[in-house]
Amino acid sequence: MTNRRNFLCAGAAVTLGTAHPLLWAQAGGPIRIGILIPLTGSTSQFGATMSKAAQIAAEEINAAGGINGRKLEVIIEDDQSNPEAAVRAARKLIDVDRVVAIGGSYASSVTSAIAPLCWESKTVLATSSGADSITKLPHLGYIFRTSPTVTLQGTRVGELGVELGAKKMFFMGPQTPFAQSYIDIISGIFSKAGGSGGGLIYEDKKSGYRSEVDQALKSKPDLIVLGGYVPDTSVVLKDLYRAGFEGKRIGFSFGINQKLIEAVPAEVGEGAYSLVPSAAVGATAYKRLLTKMKVEALDSYSCQVYDHVNMVALALASTAKAPMTGTTVHDNLRNVTQQAQSQLVDSAADGLKLLAKGTPINFDGASGSLEFADNGDVKGVFFRYEQIQKGKLVVTKVA
Amino acid sequence: MFADLLQHIVNGLVMGAVVALPALGLTLIFSVLGFINFSIAAQMTVGAYAGWLVNSQLHWPLVPVLVVGFAAAGLAGVIGDRLALVPMRRTVSAHTPLMVAIVSIALNLALENAIRFGFGSDLNSFEMPIARDVQFAGVRIGPQQMHNLGIALTVAIVLAVFFTVTKVGKAMRAVADNPDLARLKGIDPAKLSNLATFIGMGLAGIGGALLAIDTSVDPSTGSRLLLIIFSASVLGGLTSLTGAVLGALLIGVVSEVALLAISPVYQSATAFVAILLVLLVKPSGLFAGSSGVRK
Repeated sequence: MTNRRNFLCAGAAVTLGTAHPLLWAQAGGPIRIGILIPLTGSTSQFGATMSKAAQIAAEEINAAGGINGRKLEVIIEDDQSNPEAAVRAARKLIDVDRVVAIGGSYASSVTSAIAPLCWESKTVLATSSGADSITKLPHLGYIFRTSPTVTLQGTRVGELGVELGAKKMFFMGPQTPFAQSYIDIISGIFSKAGGSGGGLIYEDKKSGYRSEVDQALKSKPDLIVLGGYVPDTSVVLKDLYRAGFEGKRIGFSFGINQKLIEAVPAEVGEGAYSLVPSAAVGATAYKRLLTKMKVEALDSYSCQVYDHVNMVALALASTAKAPMTGTTVHDNLRNVTQQAQSQLVDSAADGLKLLAKGTPINFDGASGSLEFADNGDVKGVFFRYEQIQKGKLVVTKVA
Repeated sequence: MFADLLQHIVNGLVMGAVVALPALGLTLIFSVLGFINFSIAAQMTVGAYAGWLVNSQLHWPLVPVLVVGFAAAGLAGVIGDRLALVPMRRTVSAHTPLMVAIVSIALNLALENAIRFGFGSDLNSFEMPIARDVQFAGVRIGPQQMHNLGIALTVAIVLAVFFTVTKVGKAMRAVADNPDLARLKGIDPAKLSNLATFIGMGLAGIGGALLAIDTSVDPSTGSRLLLIIFSASVLGGLTSLTGAVLGALLIGVVSEVALLAISPVYQSATAFVAILLVLLVKPSGLFAGSSGVRK
């Protein structure tokens, strides 16, 4: 009997003791931002730099005194390039860590899966995914997208194809939330220009795509658009080479990049084009991030993650009285990133100082000027057009 | 139309050849040890990485690369088996095979992540020249893929000879058939189980290296194909070596030929529907009872 009573007392004490910090973690302790990124799996090519960029942002903010005197903590979780694993990680971030916002969120399938958890729990979701469908979700303003949409990327790829003189386009890509949109958008552009377009969607975990390549080449295309990630794109490129395809090949930054060049023999990738959402390469924030990361250039996605942390922190700091919650971020984010008359800043440290004095700010990040339309999509994005020349990615134009 | 059909059949055989060797390994281990060792997928990756290392660092050619892939996967397989699975197998109950199979899934994940920890998630390419396909009677044939198919079939034949002619091979079949009776005859099942694991995992290692030469190496190289390997083995009747090879080739051909009528997105679905139909008609698998470890 004594044992049972002791057990109950101990149990109650443990429950109270643990429940207390969990429930009130965001009231006095550090303010937490979750960073959900692909550190492993097929979309993980930028995972390591994304993680580092998020940590640098947090270090900068804490060195400048934190948010309204409270420390900022970024909690990095691996989404494994897998929506199911991402949902588990997002649940942990929201329910256990009680984050005010989740940043990163790269693959569109991952973002689509975790988005409802975010808006239902009033947690802001800053995403670097492209699928148009994401900002069409009933997200109540809790989603901010810093990456160009699929429609925009598809349009640019289509225009590049036409510019390169191609007449017959064929799209090959894995099943993703945006594959069919790409086929429709790029085909549309080719039809308008007097050409034609088609496409097929394949399964992404195959050891070979010979039959798919046979089907693609049946219509005798002079341009193949590759809509996949690195693992499948590398195999498709090899099979296109084996089949003797001599036409042009255009891919996206998540499929044709430095990792792909390392993954295929030189002759296989040579001449392929890649459309890369460009970071704000002229911006001070970008240059500062490069120095801190000790690299010469950085992909747009890592810059976006850096900006996610910064803009969330500034939104919270812009109001000293409001509770440190996702709703506060939701209400104030646009106030600190896109008020034309406010003072322009390019670092969170400067922004925090000005906000403390009550001066309104307009934060421009490393990925761009961070102006969001009503639906949450970012406005004004630049692209780098790159081509693999002699085993290296060479920028052919920025527009 | 006929040329298209022929082309898809050839493509299917090529696809199947990649799956055939690991399926053979899985079948061999099941026959002798009586459980499904799912860590075979990670051992494919081990073989692929071992082959890639000696190819990219020491510039070894194809055959030595495959030998290294075989040895590395075989050794890693035996070590993994001794450390994680043998202790589980000691507790004998009706659920033991299922429990061991589940532990082997855990082992598979642990190995895959250990490789990821050591080598990172990047894709790595072999230093092997890539050849253009040749046209033969209207059908496009890849010299490398035909080479792979040839190697897979040769290994399968060597294995068949090993089980029919050699003493050890016959002993393995005896253990597979009736372990107690085999022990009475002086055969040590423990020793044979090590050998079966070594050969089975080694075969997966060769399969992994061949697959990686064709595509590239990353920590998920093997696990992407685990389900299809398991299916090939089940289709072949789980105890028949010939069945495993034929099952793999059949799955490859069915899924590629289905592309003529169905969108590529549903390709695995068509293969699995085919398996379902086969197992409904013949629950023991297509080739159970034909020549193999268990006659």
